[in-house]
Amino acid sequence: MTLFARNSLLAFLMALTLGGIVFYTVDHFNRMRLAEISAIEDQISIDTLSLDTQFSLLAATPCESVASSTTLSSELADLGSRLSYAEDQLGSNNEQVMRLKKQYSLLEIRDYLLTKQFAAKCSTRPVTVLYFYSNAGDCADCDKAGYALSYLHTTYPSLRVYSFDYNLDLGALKTLIAITKLEGDLPAFIIDGKTSYGFTTLEDLQKRFPKGALATSTPATK
Amino acid sequence: MDLVTYPFLFIALYFEAFLLLTFLSSPAREQRKNSTVIATATPKVAIIVPCWNEESTVAGTVESLLALDYPADKLSLVLVNDGSTDGTAAAIDRFATHPQVTAIHKENGGKFTAMNLALEHVGDAEFVGFLDADSFVAPDALREIVAGFTTGDTAAVTASMSIHEPRTLLQRMQYAEYTFSIMLRHVFSSINGLYVTPGPFSFYRYAALKDLGPFKHAYLAEDMEMAMRIQRAGLKIGNALRARVYTKGPATLPKLIKQRTRWTTGFIRNLFFDYRDLIGGKKNAVLGILVLPLGILAIGGGILLFVFELSRLVEHGFHVASVAQAAPLSYAFTIHSFTWFYLPITFLTVAGLLLATSNVVWMSLGKNLSKTPGSLTLNVVPYLFLYVFVAPLWLITSVSHVALGTRTVWR
Repeated sequence: MTLFARNSLLAFLMALTLGGIVFYTVDHFNRMRLAEISAIEDQISIDTLSLDTQFSLLAATPCESVASSTTLSSELADLGSRLSYAEDQLGSNNEQVMRLKKQYSLLEIRDYLLTKQFAAKCSTRPVTVLYFYSNAGDCADCDKAGYALSYLHTTYPSLRVYSFDYNLDLGALKTLIAITKLEGDLPAFIIDGKTSYGFTTLEDLQKRFPKGALATSTPATK
Repeated sequence: MDLVTYPFLFIALYFEAFLLLTFLSSPAREQRKNSTVIATATPKVAIIVPCWNEESTVAGTVESLLALDYPADKLSLVLVNDGSTDGTAAAIDRFATHPQVTAIHKENGGKFTAMNLALEHVGDAEFVGFLDADSFVAPDALREIVAGFTTGDTAAVTASMSIHEPRTLLQRMQYAEYTFSIMLRHVFSSINGLYVTPGPFSFYRYAALKDLGPFKHAYLAEDMEMAMRIQRAGLKIGNALRARVYTKGPATLPKLIKQRTRWTTGFIRNLFFDYRDLIGGKKNAVLGILVLPLGILAIGGGILLFVFELSRLVEHGFHVASVAQAAPLSYAFTIHSFTWFYLPITFLTVAGLLLATSNVVWMSLGKNLSKTPGSLTLNVVPYLFLYVFVAPLWLITSVSHVALGTRTVWR
């Protein structure tokens, strides 16, 4: 075998090995990302369950737990942005991403219900937004709407934004869509119980909030 | 999109691996060992300097040649003024009375005509070299070159070129690029895989040159054509790693694109119009199966990747700009807490980083092994950030020139 032939063959094997190492490294980081998302979800799941249990156990209204509930809400928002990044990197077909997304959606629904319970018992008026989007390429304004909601959540941290992938195959989400009577035009928003569709500008979105809600959206405990 | 990117990334990894293996193989190791020995033999040598409108640089070129560490009676210079319209004639005539110098003036006919005319005045020189009139050499360069003619079938020996005192960002980028080329030339010469004997300080065994015939127009790439002719004849092209020659790199983008378009169209036209038999040729498998196909692939792939990545970047840019309008501009510049989670670790970025690191290592080796002066650290940054955007410009221009039959100009 000539030197050229030998080096060509070895170079091919080296390139394969290097490609494999790169692939493994990237895969390792992606698995670490998913593990981190999973760990955060587990933690939030425990916290949510704890709040829920606390709520059920106490005879008196556990209104002091509202603060913990707000912290949970911002942890959910961070989890949402990590999940969105992981979905961008790994694609919507990745089974593990979809499983984590379903788990995340369940946590959101659970938190939403808890928030409603707190509001009823503690006479608070938290502003909640249920936001429905699609990643299937059929929603031109969804990215803009998501970005505008991120801005609003950053500006008004007590604003509770729950984002749902409309196409996610999850029973609880389908029930939520059914009981809220969404028509399927996306993006869709349910702001304080009122349904609206489409996104044009931030100003237009802000108008859909109850008067003064954004300015005083910090929870007020009586 | 990934179907375009991944194969090219794999080919790039393969190329780097091949380079490393060949660098570590015995022919390259031998060559490096030999390059530490300065030639004691001093055969007769003639150096030809073809000039066309080089009034500002030719004096420096000639002075550097006269300062070569080589016996004066064994070294002659032939300066040819190819019908310059500036003060080149006067600049050359300043040296006309020097005993080692022959000055010739002729009507403008193109570089190859100047080279051929000068060849009639080299007397009984054993080796003939050429030096562009915008370049100059290190004092020991000629002895290094002579030592590079190791075997009887070595028809030509190339030098290690670098950019002299780079100032603009583009010149700095070229400095880094040239140090990489030093390594490429060293490694591929060890397995006879060179297809160009560059204008700055390439030397030929005169007997071989006479057998091969005069230089041709060769689409303004006479150095490439001659190298291909040498390869077709089954002869070898060597490299003297420590024969340092310094040249001026184009300082502006239009000048750089013009220069590189001339080189690239010269490569494409010579190869496809006149030397197609070299592609896939088994006589020199290194050239026929690896170097030339990769050269073609680099042009096509460079354009393809650039167009794809640029369109992706533009599309993404528009999308981001459009989405960013949904909130106040200040929000886009808000610094959010950052964790490793959001590091863009993808196959493209990791493989790209690996390739970029590998190239920087080659550059560093090229600079150190050839003992090229200057700072690589300062110049590698413009290379890493500019080259991917600038190189496709001359690749696209070159391919369109060849496709449309546009005549390439010298400057």
